[in-house]
Amino acid sequence: MKKTIFAFLFVMACALDLLAQEAAPVEVFPSAPYDRYIIFQSLTLFWIAIIGLIIIIRMKLKEIERVQKMGIDREEKDIPLLD
Amino acid sequence: MSCQRLRNWIEERYDVEGMKGLARHKLVPVHQYEIWYYTGGIAMFLFILQFITGMVLSFYYIPYFEHANKSIIEIVTKLNMGWFFRSLHHWGAQLAITALFIHVFSTLLLKSYRKPRELLWISGFILLGISIFFGLSGYFLLWDERAFAAVRVATGGAGNLPVIGGFVKAFLRGGLDVTGDTLTRFYAFHVSVLPLLTLFLVGIHVLLVQYHGMSVPMSLEKKPLKQIPFFPNLFYKDLIIWLLVLGIVVSLATLLPPEIGKKADPLAPAPENIKPEWYFLFLFQTLKLFPGDILGMNGETIAIILISCGILFFFLIPFFDRRSSRGEKSVLFTWIGVFYTLYFIVMTIIGFVS
Amino acid sequence: MKINYSLVTRRTFLNTLFGGWLVAFCGGTFYALLKFAFPTLGKEPDFVVLKTADFMDIPANSVKPFAWGGQLGLFYKKQNGSTYALKGVCTHMECNVTYKPEDKKFYCACHQGWFDEDGKNIAGPPPKPLEFFDITTEGEKLIVAKKGIKVELPKA
Repeated sequence: MKKTIFAFLFVMACALDLLAQEAAPVEVFPSAPYDRYIIFQSLTLFWIAIIGLIIIIRMKLKEIERVQKMGIDREEKDIPLLD
Repeated sequence: MSCQRLRNWIEERYDVEGMKGLARHKLVPVHQYEIWYYTGGIAMFLFILQFITGMVLSFYYIPYFEHANKSIIEIVTKLNMGWFFRSLHHWGAQLAITALFIHVFSTLLLKSYRKPRELLWISGFILLGISIFFGLSGYFLLWDERAFAAVRVATGGAGNLPVIGGFVKAFLRGGLDVTGDTLTRFYAFHVSVLPLLTLFLVGIHVLLVQYHGMSVPMSLEKKPLKQIPFFPNLFYKDLIIWLLVLGIVVSLATLLPPEIGKKADPLAPAPENIKPEWYFLFLFQTLKLFPGDILGMNGETIAIILISCGILFFFLIPFFDRRSSRGEKSVLFTWIGVFYTLYFIVMTIIGFVS
Repeated sequence: MKINYSLVTRRTFLNTLFGGWLVAFCGGTFYALLKFAFPTLGKEPDFVVLKTADFMDIPANSVKPFAWGGQLGLFYKKQNGSTYALKGVCTHMECNVTYKPEDKKFYCACHQGWFDEDGKNIAGPPPKPLEFFDITTEGEKLIVAKKGIKVELPKA
């Protein structure tokens, strides 16, 4: 369990680093080819991030719909209270 | 993480379970027209984007006519990613107004304005007017030749309104002509007056939607429809769509940054082929249709009166459409809705290509 | 080694994935926003170049101000004719100091701080002496530099 979490946090740290790098400052109205490449690279990374997020949200949605179809998300009526 | 301790702290003071229960009750019907339900959320998301980018831009913009144009050039050339945020603000505005028009026309054609949702239409219409003024005032802050001429035409046109025209023109311009005072006034509108009005009206508009629930087209009302909970199902779908919209705005902002023209000279003649922003084009074209003189009366005044009547009718449609307020099919108003939509689209396109 | 059970539930996995990705995404976005909102903070210059003619002939026991980046610099000629340059900024709360020729002392009006003619803090709240600079002349150019900085003039 711990290993999964650590492995996952590592991946997240990489993602965070990537995204921070994507926002690397473009100091001037981009005419220099070097700056233009950074901008296009950042745009690509940005889209990858968005699509990744959309895929994850879709996964969540599918899971929620699967659970809802089973009907186990609704509370049972007349459930006895633990006193 | 001591998330549990934080959660306990909040639950000891606030009825979180109660609020969660309320949230769970929000249901949204599923049917073939449900895609139009997303238009309002998209418009709202884009406006939030505008608020954020506008706030950071206002750190650097100088609202004095002598320095306004230069301050924008400084933002675009000297600041970290300045060109990007200005471009984002520009494209955010274009898409926000587009989304807004799609939202307005879809509610018109689906007749969501009918009883009991008349106040939603009224507040929405006022918000549309505010948004267009947002666009105009924001564009003017550029203080370049095109913006200057555009505001001259727009405020001059407003001056042709019968009776109130003179007052409106003087109020908007802050004087007889478009000057530095106009810039100050439009800046006050753009960053203070309009945002506060928008927050207030959007608050009412959204609250009313929560109160009334989502409107269902009359043809489907009688049938029992499947309902899905808003939290979490539709919330996540909204989020996906907003992320896509964000991606589109960012791409447009990166690939097509807008230009800045030369600083405006009040004494210079209007530049060649001057055209207003696209959302004014339909009005512009309509004005062009009318000849200068009709039966001895000033053609432009007649045009403005007719346009005002058309807009007023549009504003009061829920009260004119008696049949739909009774829940009956209202074919006449469907055609009226189609006419308005097509007129807007066609006139805008003609204005664009001519 | 394959295990028969899952280490995390589907829900935990999805929520961690979502939360982590969201944090990374929002973090990147806010980083970009903040980089724009925080202006490129002005650095203090290492040296400034002035015109010798403007400064060398000031009367003895007087100061002449010059721009040190965005702050006050003072060109100082003592009674005996020796010339110095210093940062005219009080070391207490960064108010601008003034020179009192009658007392041959620098005075800060904000909290009545006094510095002697060598910049040493002698009275009032200032905790440190005034910062003095190195002066060099290269013909027409008067170069005022931070102590210890080697000045390399660009080939202008």
